[in-house]
Amino acid sequence: MSPLRQVMLIAQRDFLQRIRSRAFLVSMLLIVGVVVIAGPLLAAESAVPKPYKIGTTGTVQDGFNDAVTASAKAFDRTVGVSSYASTAEGEAALEKGDINVLLVDGEQLVWNQDPNYQLTSIVTSAVQGLDRAKTIASLGLSQEEAARLLAPAPLASRSLTAPDPSQTPKQIASYVGSLLLYISILMFGQFVMLGVMEEKQSRVVEVVLSRTRPRQLLAGKVIGIGALGIIQLVIIGGAGLFTLSRANVVNVDLAGIGARVALTVVVWYLLGYALFAVLYAALGATVSRQEDAQGVGFIPVVVILPGFFLGIAALENPNAILPHLGSIIPPFSPFVMPTRMTVTHVPVWEVALSVVLILLATYLVLRVGARIYQGSILRIGAKVKLRDALKAGSRD
Amino acid sequence: MLELSGLRKQYGNVTALDGVSFDVRPGRVVGFLGPNGAGKTTAMRCVFGLVRPDAGEVRWNGSPVGPQEHLRFGYMPEERGLYSKMKIREQLVYFGRLSGMDPSAASSSADRWLSRLGLADRALSKLEDLSHGNQQRVQLAVSLVHGPELAVLDEPFAGLDPIGVEDMAATLRELADSGAGIVFSSHQLDLVQDVCQDVVIIDRGRVVLAGDLTDLRDRSDYRHLEVRVDGQPWAPSMNGIETVGDDGQRYLIQKDADVEEVLHRARQSGAVTSFSFEPPNLSDLFRQAVRR
Repeated sequence: MSPLRQVMLIAQRDFLQRIRSRAFLVSMLLIVGVVVIAGPLLAAESAVPKPYKIGTTGTVQDGFNDAVTASAKAFDRTVGVSSYASTAEGEAALEKGDINVLLVDGEQLVWNQDPNYQLTSIVTSAVQGLDRAKTIASLGLSQEEAARLLAPAPLASRSLTAPDPSQTPKQIASYVGSLLLYISILMFGQFVMLGVMEEKQSRVVEVVLSRTRPRQLLAGKVIGIGALGIIQLVIIGGAGLFTLSRANVVNVDLAGIGARVALTVVVWYLLGYALFAVLYAALGATVSRQEDAQGVGFIPVVVILPGFFLGIAALENPNAILPHLGSIIPPFSPFVMPTRMTVTHVPVWEVALSVVLILLATYLVLRVGARIYQGSILRIGAKVKLRDALKAGSRD
Repeated sequence: MLELSGLRKQYGNVTALDGVSFDVRPGRVVGFLGPNGAGKTTAMRCVFGLVRPDAGEVRWNGSPVGPQEHLRFGYMPEERGLYSKMKIREQLVYFGRLSGMDPSAASSSADRWLSRLGLADRALSKLEDLSHGNQQRVQLAVSLVHGPELAVLDEPFAGLDPIGVEDMAATLRELADSGAGIVFSSHQLDLVQDVCQDVVIIDRGRVVLAGDLTDLRDRSDYRHLEVRVDGQPWAPSMNGIETVGDDGQRYLIQKDADVEEVLHRARQSGAVTSFSFEPPNLSDLFRQAVRR
């Protein structure tokens, strides 16, 4: 019996026991249901922006309605205009939320609270355009001269490096990758921790460890629950893509991401999950009660959050000192390195170093976790002090 | 053959094992006895590497025990526990495979155990849906499903009803007859006397008595004396006689005591209705060995 076969058997058991459980089935149906049903509703809500409602009172320039509609079109927006007999009436409508802005005498914008800058631009350019047309007319210019004055030649533009049309989908891919990693670690890491804890609590662990070593047990659990997590992500992700494509809201340019970026994201996802799952397993070994589990469960979060934010920073400044270091040093690297690799050129040696370091870290945490496990299995109830567990568990 | 050799284990300033050595030979059932806290569980855990001794060694057929050897052993821990939400047949197959059986061998062994324990119709039940006694049976089956060459059972009789005790005893005897070595701990001394051939008595981390039970009884310096005169317990007033048990009916007497003389005195006091002069039983040996 090779140790690897034992690991796979343990992984298989954890995977099958969970995937066949009613709890798993029900939660997956719920999530998929929500994504498929609620997704389009939410998307419809946000897909087509609501028209801006503009109120006018006092003097209004001729042609204001057409002008403001045209200038809104430049922002891909629509507007509705209604007029009020007095400023007071208009302000009342503003307070009630009937209109977004009130234009008084064609020269003052009144807001309920914070000004909306897009709407300010839309109304301002309409009013200014009308003013300019009036001035031009008073100067007695011909139709053609007026048109030339109002439509100046646009500026030409060129780039030193050809823009990469796939840059945005790539950035999104790496961002989504680290977001998924973040969520998976929190979810499945907890599962691993609870799984380890349950085995301790039900005392089955002594039966298992009479046949295999703690290291194999922990590795098997991490792999089994990880496989379950990936299936879960694929199902949820599939439902999400299905919803998006059907609602036709976002044009998901999968081809634009490219195989290399996709592979980078997936590989780093796996590396990151492995490290943190092993960490959760080690922490699970120190506790045997739910209350204590919550206490230690937040420890990885303390490390995940900086990694996640470094990853976002790397999107903007991939070569700044912190993202640069973070992309090499575990446990931050799984969040930062795929992002850097996507948005900038990272030397091969840096990638290699980073991979070696994270694998090393995972192995070390596994060893230490196994040792804690060994030392703490025979103590049930009280939270085991880390130092005591390490001392007691000197076998592994 | 399993050899425990000079095992020592210290927990803080508590000495759990203080140089424990004994053997478990193939085909023999070894009763492992001792007061609470004597070190029985710690010694058993050492066999599986669950506890690493500070000194000493556990050997199997002459070489140190490692992960590969553990697969040939079966272990029933004192604190019972299996996967409560897993179906029992699946559970047996899983543990069989974890010990290195291939899937078909594990399946057929699981089925054999289920029908033998009368649980064939519960094969698809979850462990948690079984009665306490049946859960115990499954626990035993899990420790033996892979046909181990050595079974280490920590308090296998604890919590069993009389029928369960009979089943367990029969299973252990059969297993030994098939050539496996068995060591089990227990507090029920009458039971141990019936089931085992060898005993090891441990006290405060030291082996205080070990060997073939019949031998030990014969070699004892004492004899167990039980006399009833006119239906009442009777004791001779002689030197070196000691009351055992709290019913005041049984005595230990020197091996070389003059039996004729005892019987003669008994007859003088009335009609002797029963008289026995036998090697001491296990309870007597135990009491003497762990005398405080």
